[in-house]
Amino acid sequence: MSAKSNENLRGVVLRFSKNRFAVLGLILIILFCLVAVFASHIAPYSYEEQDLLNTLMPPSSEHWFGTDEFGRDIFSRIIYASRVSLKVGIIAVGIGMIVGGILGAVSGYYGGWLDNLIMRAMDILLSIPSILLAIAIAASLGPGVVNIMIAIGISSVPQYARIVRGSVLSIRSQQFVIAARAVGGRDFHIIFKHILPNCMAPIIVQATLGVAWAILNTAGLSFIGLGIQPPIPEWGAMLSSGRNYIRDFSYMTLFPGLAIMITILALNFVGDGLRDALDPKMKR
Amino acid sequence: MWKYVFRRLLYLIPTVIGVTFIVFLLLFITPGDPARMILGDQATEEAVADLREEMGLNDPFLAQYGRYLYNAVFHFDIGRSYVTHAPVTQEIKAAFPATLKLATLAVVLAVVLGIPVGIFSAIKQYSILDNLAMVFALVGISMPVFWLGLLLILLFSVHLGWLPASGFDSFKYMIMPAVTLCTASLAVISRMTRSSMLEVVRQDYIRTARAKGQKERVVVWHHALGNALIPIVTIIGIQFGSLLGGAVLTESIFSVPGVGRLMVEAIKMRDYPVVQGGVLYIAILCSLVNLLVDILYAYIDPRIKSQYS
Amino acid sequence: MSISWLKKFGLVAMCFALVLGMSSGALAAKDTLVVANMYDAKSLDPHVTPDVGSAHIMVQIYETLLKTDDKGEIVPSLAESYEKIDDCTYRFHLREGVKFHNGEELKASDVAFTFHRAIEIGKTIGFIVGNIDPASIKVEDDYTIVMGTKTPDTSFLACLTHFGGGCILNEKAVNEAGDDYGTHPVGTGPYKFVDWQKGDRITLTRFDEYWGTKPAIKDVVVRAITEQTNRTIELESGGVDIAYAIPPLDIRRIEENSKLKLIRVPDVSVQYMGFNCSKKPFSDVRVRQAITMALDLEKLNKAVYRGIGGPAYGPIPPRLRYFNTNLSILKYDPERAKELLAEAGYPEGFKASIWTNDRKERIDIATIAQSMLAKVGITVDIQVMEWGAYLDKLSEKQHDMYLMGWSTPIPDPDYAVYGIFHSSQIKGMNKSVYSNPKADELMDRGRTLPDGDERRAIYEELQTLLVQEAPWVFVHNGEEVVGTSKNVKGFVADPAGYHKLYTVSFEE
Repeated sequence: MSAKSNENLRGVVLRFSKNRFAVLGLILIILFCLVAVFASHIAPYSYEEQDLLNTLMPPSSEHWFGTDEFGRDIFSRIIYASRVSLKVGIIAVGIGMIVGGILGAVSGYYGGWLDNLIMRAMDILLSIPSILLAIAIAASLGPGVVNIMIAIGISSVPQYARIVRGSVLSIRSQQFVIAARAVGGRDFHIIFKHILPNCMAPIIVQATLGVAWAILNTAGLSFIGLGIQPPIPEWGAMLSSGRNYIRDFSYMTLFPGLAIMITILALNFVGDGLRDALDPKMKR
Repeated sequence: MWKYVFRRLLYLIPTVIGVTFIVFLLLFITPGDPARMILGDQATEEAVADLREEMGLNDPFLAQYGRYLYNAVFHFDIGRSYVTHAPVTQEIKAAFPATLKLATLAVVLAVVLGIPVGIFSAIKQYSILDNLAMVFALVGISMPVFWLGLLLILLFSVHLGWLPASGFDSFKYMIMPAVTLCTASLAVISRMTRSSMLEVVRQDYIRTARAKGQKERVVVWHHALGNALIPIVTIIGIQFGSLLGGAVLTESIFSVPGVGRLMVEAIKMRDYPVVQGGVLYIAILCSLVNLLVDILYAYIDPRIKSQYS
Repeated sequence: MSISWLKKFGLVAMCFALVLGMSSGALAAKDTLVVANMYDAKSLDPHVTPDVGSAHIMVQIYETLLKTDDKGEIVPSLAESYEKIDDCTYRFHLREGVKFHNGEELKASDVAFTFHRAIEIGKTIGFIVGNIDPASIKVEDDYTIVMGTKTPDTSFLACLTHFGGGCILNEKAVNEAGDDYGTHPVGTGPYKFVDWQKGDRITLTRFDEYWGTKPAIKDVVVRAITEQTNRTIELESGGVDIAYAIPPLDIRRIEENSKLKLIRVPDVSVQYMGFNCSKKPFSDVRVRQAITMALDLEKLNKAVYRGIGGPAYGPIPPRLRYFNTNLSILKYDPERAKELLAEAGYPEGFKASIWTNDRKERIDIATIAQSMLAKVGITVDIQVMEWGAYLDKLSEKQHDMYLMGWSTPIPDPDYAVYGIFHSSQIKGMNKSVYSNPKADELMDRGRTLPDGDERRAIYEELQTLLVQEAPWVFVHNGEEVVGTSKNVKGFVADPAGYHKLYTVSFEE
C-alpha cells in the first residue's frame, strides 16, 4: 500500500507542477508566508508609528504606498497585516477542519440517527448565509481578532463536515474497511488510520480555498467594523477607513485591496491546481 | 415525485425552527442590553432595569424562546423592532424588495453572461480566450466584493460622474451594486459551466451522436448542454442563497435600503427582533430556493426521477 | 362611430394630460427640495426617540409651545404667552385657530394629552420631561393650560422647546393610529407628512392651513444617505439640494465649487475623554491634570477633525448661555505633566486602557492619545467595543478612561453639566463617577436660580472648577456643517442640529 501511495504522490506532484498557474500561486503563497513571518525585517516603519505632520501623503520614495490619516506608512501596515491574515486563515480553517471533520467522520461512519441529527444541524447552519452567520457570531462574541477567527471557523464547519462525510461514506463500504472491522479493530482506530487518510484529497483542496474564504470574510467583517482593535493593521479594516478618503486619496483603498486580491488569487490558483492534480479523471 | 417534494417540505420545518433557535441563542449570549439601547445614553440605571423587567428580558432563555416561537407560529407575530417600534414584518417587508431586486438582477447577469462564456471556453478549450476567460473568472472570485464596489464608485461616480453612488430609486441606481454583486457568481457559474461541459463532452453518448453524423451545433446545444445544465442549476440555486447574504456588504457600500443593511444595523443596535426576523426570512427563502433547485434537479436528471416515481 | 370618436378623443386627451403632466413635472422639480440626511429616521413619534436623524423630519412637521430664535432666546410658538405662577408652575395661553394636519384645532386638551403621554411612555425622553409633575397639568379652558415641575427647575422652559419632548401631538390622531403612529405623524407644523419609503426617503408637502408664514417650497424629500462621501457626491451632481453632516475632507471641495455653498455653525456637543474618578490613579486630580496636559489637543483636533470645530474649553459649548469666556484651560505641557505624575507618585508612568465604541473619530482620538501618552510614560491599550456592550461595561465602573460625547440640545447650561457631573447621577450618565460636594452645590443652586447675573456667576465658577478638577479631558467642540446648492436661500443651520427647512426658498 505504501508503494502505491508513493506513486500516487509522485503523480500528484507531477501533475501539479505542469500547471503553470498553480505553480505561480504556490510561489506567491510562499512569498506571502515569508513576508508575514519576517514582517519586522521587511517593513521600513512600524505599523503604529504616527506622524501627524505628514498625514495623507501620496506614494513617494520615503513612503512607497503613501501614508494614512495618522501619518502611518501604508506599505509597512500592509506587510504587518499579512500576519493577521495568515493567523486568521490558518486558525479559522483549522477550527473548521477539525470540528467539521470530526462531525463528518462520526456522521458518515455510524450513520443512522446520529448521522441524521448531525446533518440536519449542518443544514440549519448552512441555510443561514455564511457571512451573516459570521457577523452574528462575531457580534455575540465581541470584538477582537480571536473572536473573528472563531466566528469564521464555526461558519465554515458545515462544509468540512459534508466533505468528510461524503468521503467516509464512499470508503466505508470498501474492502479493507470491512476487513478491519471483521478483524475487530476499534472504530476510532479505523476512522483515523484507514478512512481519514483517504479523505485527505478533497479536504486539502477545500482547506486551501477555505483559507482564501476566511481571509476574504475577515476583511469583510473588519470592513463593517466588527472587531480589529487599533492600531493593529488588517487589510479589510484599512479598506474601511480608506473609504472616507476615497475621492482624494484613492491609494489608501487601492493597495490593501490589491493585497487581498493577489493573496486570494494565489490561493485559488493553488487550490484549483491541487484539485486537478489530485483528481485523475480531469485530464488537463 | 410528489412524495419527494412533500418529504422535502416537511424537512423544511425543523430546519427553520432550528434556525430560529440558533439565532435566538446567539443573540442571547451577546453582550449589550436592548433596554439600554432603546433608552439611549441619557438613561438612569433604574429606568434600564425597569424596562428590562417589562420586556421580559430577565426570564430564562427557554421561556423567552418559547414565547417567541409561540407568537411566531400561532399569530405570525415576530415582534416589534426595539428601535422603531414598528412590527418586524413591516420593517422586513419594506427592506426586502430592494434586496430581492438586487439579488435577482445579479443572478440574471451572472447567468446570462456566465453560461455563454463557460460554453465558449469549453468549446475552445486551451485557446487564449479560454485561458483569459478563466483567469478573469478567478480574479472575479478573488476580488473582495467591497473593494470592487469602491473601485466602481471611484470610476463611475467620482471620476466620470455617470452613475449615482447611492440610493435605490430607478434602474440606474441598481447597475453598480448589481454588477458588484454578480461578479463572484459570474465567475463561479462560468467555471462550473466550463468544467461541466468538458466533462459531458467526453461522454460516450456524445461520441455516439457525433458518429451518427449529427451536426456539431446540435451535438453541443441539445445533447451536451442539456446534461451539463444539471449541476449548473444546482450551483445557481446555491449562488442565489449566498447572494442574499452577500448583499450585506454591497448594500452597505451603495446605501441600498435592503435586508442586508437592515441586519447589520440591527445587530449593532441589539435590535433582536429585527435580526431574528431577518435571518428567519432569509433562511426560509434560501431553503425554498434550494428546494426548488433540488426539485428541478430531480426533474431534469432522469436517474433521480426514476427513484421517486 | 361615436364610440371610436370617444376613443380617439380619449387618446388625445390622455396625450395632452401626459404632456401637461410632464411639463408640470418639470416645473415641480424646482418646487421640491431634496435633502440628504445622515441616516433614515427611526420613528416620527417624538415620544419614541429623540435621535437627530428623526428630529430632522420632526422639526418640519411638529411645533412646540415655545421655541428658540436665531439668537438662542426662548420665544413663543404655539403658546402665545405665559406667566409664572410660582417657583414650579407656569400658565400658558395657546394661540387660537391653529390647525393640525388632519383638520383638528389645537386645544389645551391636546397639550395635556401630549405631556401625559410623554411622561408615561417617553422612556427615551426622560431627561426632558422627567421633572414635569403630571398632577400639576391642568386644563383651565380650551386655550389655557397650567403645567409645572416637581422641583424648581429653571430649565423647564428650555425643555419645552425641545423637538422630542416638546412636540405637541393631536390626541385624536394618536389614538386613531395606535401602534402605527410612528409612521403616520400628525402635527401643526408648516409641512405635513406624505410618505415614507423605509431606509430610502421621506416625503413631506406644504401644509396650506399653517397658522404662520407658509413655506415657499411645496414639497420636501429627505433622503437617507449614510455614506458621508456619497452625500457630497449627490450634492455635487445635483441629486440633492442640501446635504447634512459634510465630512471634514469635503469642506474644501465644496468651498471651491462655485455652484455650492458651505454653511458652518458651532454645535452644542462636546467630545471628551472621561476618567474613572473612583479608581486609582485617576482618583488623584494631579494625574488627571497631567494626562490633560500631556495631550496636544490642537494637533489632535487637526488630525482627527481636519479643521472642523476645535479643542473644547470646558463642559459648556461656546454658543450656550453662560459660557465662561475667561476660562483658563490646562495647556499642553508634557514636561509639567511628567512633573505632576512624579508628584502624584508615578514617575515611571503606569499602564492604563482607553475604552471607546466603534465610531471612527473616537477610535482615531484614542489612537493619537495612545501615542501622545506614551511620551510621558503612560502605556495605553485601546479597547473598541460595540455601542451596546460599551454602555453595559461602563456601568460596571471598572474602566480607566473612556471616550464619549455629550450634546446639549436644550438651550440651558444646567443640561450641560447636571446629568454628567452631579454625584446623584453616578447611577446614570455620570460615568466618570465624579463626586464633588462643591460642584454639586453649584449645580443644585444653578438650576433653581432665575436667569440673571447671579446664575451666570454660579455657572462661570462651576466651569472654572470643572476645568481644574479635570474629570474629563475636554477634547472637541464640533460644528454643524451643511452644504447647499448656490440657489438655496434662507437656510439657517441650527447649532443643535434641528435645521429648519421651512424657511428655505430657491433663488431664481
